[in-house]
Amino acid sequence: MQASEFRYMQQFLLRKIGLSLADDKQYLIKSRVTRLLREHQLDDANAVARAVRRDENGPLAQQVLDAMTTNETLFFRDQYPFEALRDLIFPELIHAKGRHGKINIWSAASSTGQEACSIAMTASESVPEPGRVHILGTDFSAKAVEYARRGVYTQMEVQRGMPIKQLVRFFDQQGSSWAVRPELKAMMHFDHANLVDNSLAAKVRRHGPFDVVFCRNVLIYFTPEERAHVIDRISRCMHKGGYFISGATETPEGRLSRWNQVMFKGKRLWQLQ
Amino acid sequence: MKALIVDDAKVVRVTLARMMGQLGYEAVKAEDGRQALDAMAEHPDVDVVMLDWNMPVMNGYDFLVALRGMAQHATHPKVIMVTTETGMPSMLKALAAGADEYIMKPFDQDMVAGKLAMVGLEAAG
Ligand SMILES: C[S@@+](CC[C@H](N)C(=O)[O-])C[C@H]1O[C@@H](n2cnc3c(N)ncnc32)[C@H](O)[C@@H]1O
Ligand SMILES: [Mg+2]
Repeated sequence: MQASEFRYMQQFLLRKIGLSLADDKQYLIKSRVTRLLREHQLDDANAVARAVRRDENGPLAQQVLDAMTTNETLFFRDQYPFEALRDLIFPELIHAKGRHGKINIWSAASSTGQEACSIAMTASESVPEPGRVHILGTDFSAKAVEYARRGVYTQMEVQRGMPIKQLVRFFDQQGSSWAVRPELKAMMHFDHANLVDNSLAAKVRRHGPFDVVFCRNVLIYFTPEERAHVIDRISRCMHKGGYFISGATETPEGRLSRWNQVMFKGKRLWQLQ
Repeated sequence: MKALIVDDAKVVRVTLARMMGQLGYEAVKAEDGRQALDAMAEHPDVDVVMLDWNMPVMNGYDFLVALRGMAQHATHPKVIMVTTETGMPSMLKALAAGADEYIMKPFDQDMVAGKLAMVGLEAAG
């Protein structure tokens, strides 16, 4: 790739979605945008960069952003967050809010929805009157949000992370696909939101304030400064005492002083002071 | 850790045995439910049965019912169905007969490892 086009792509990705791409990652852009060339009748990654530059909000730009971030996810990923919900967080919330108080949970970077679904299944199994649990899933990727809204998963997807008992209880079979049952769907709402956008708080306000936020396997994309901003933005949408659950290897750096570390089965959760 | 692999298709037996081997399991193989019952008598210490449904002589479902009917095997070993029977009614039937998990073919090693974890068996390797 031409140095100037690569530098433009680097700053485009950083500015748009906080993705920080190291100087030696040219090959990553090349390999990820290759499959877009034919559809857009472009010759190479340089041409893609030039086309994105001409219309940073167009469909190609969106596809490039999508291609540069992985949507990989699975049901009940890492398990412990869902055990923490069941054994620690839901009991606390039920105690604090009584039997009817609303519980708001946010899956920030929800990808194709498996995380939100897993939260909904956990709530169905461990919260009396699970209808009062409201789950918001957000992602910048229009494609991922669309998929999550549809709530129909392939045979492969439903076998990654999800025990068979949950599958038969919470999904309806449609040929070789599996559709989330209506009672679970009713607990979830999916929308577009960009974590690095300053209007994030305004965008999710009507679904909050949140008692629990899942923000997993996305912080890794950001520079340390951006990570701190993202966590700040999220914390402004949370209840005092709310839980923040990051990926198994991620920590909410930045304003660490605002968070209490809570250990659950040897894993760290964070509680907003 | 020991796994009993039951499938009439050789390619499945070999593939599963290789995957289970990589996950740290010793694999015992059987080609139908009848052979599997004999294998259980010979290896009562099997930790998990990876069980096909459609097989000649004795199918996987009939094996499962026979196995769970034995006092010493009422809940042990764990049984994971590995089958092309992908209809919800089949799943419910297998669960009711005492299967612990269910894999719809095709599968890969990640999925097998995940399902082992779901029945409380970590990869042993
Ligand atoms: C690897 S998936 C993680 C999904 C799920 N949270 C999990 O842990 O399995 C990462 C997701 O983050 C999304 N993402 C990346 N940057 C983002 C941003 N700035 N704002 C919102 N979503 C973003 C991607 O579109 C992708 O769906
Ligand atoms: Mg067969």
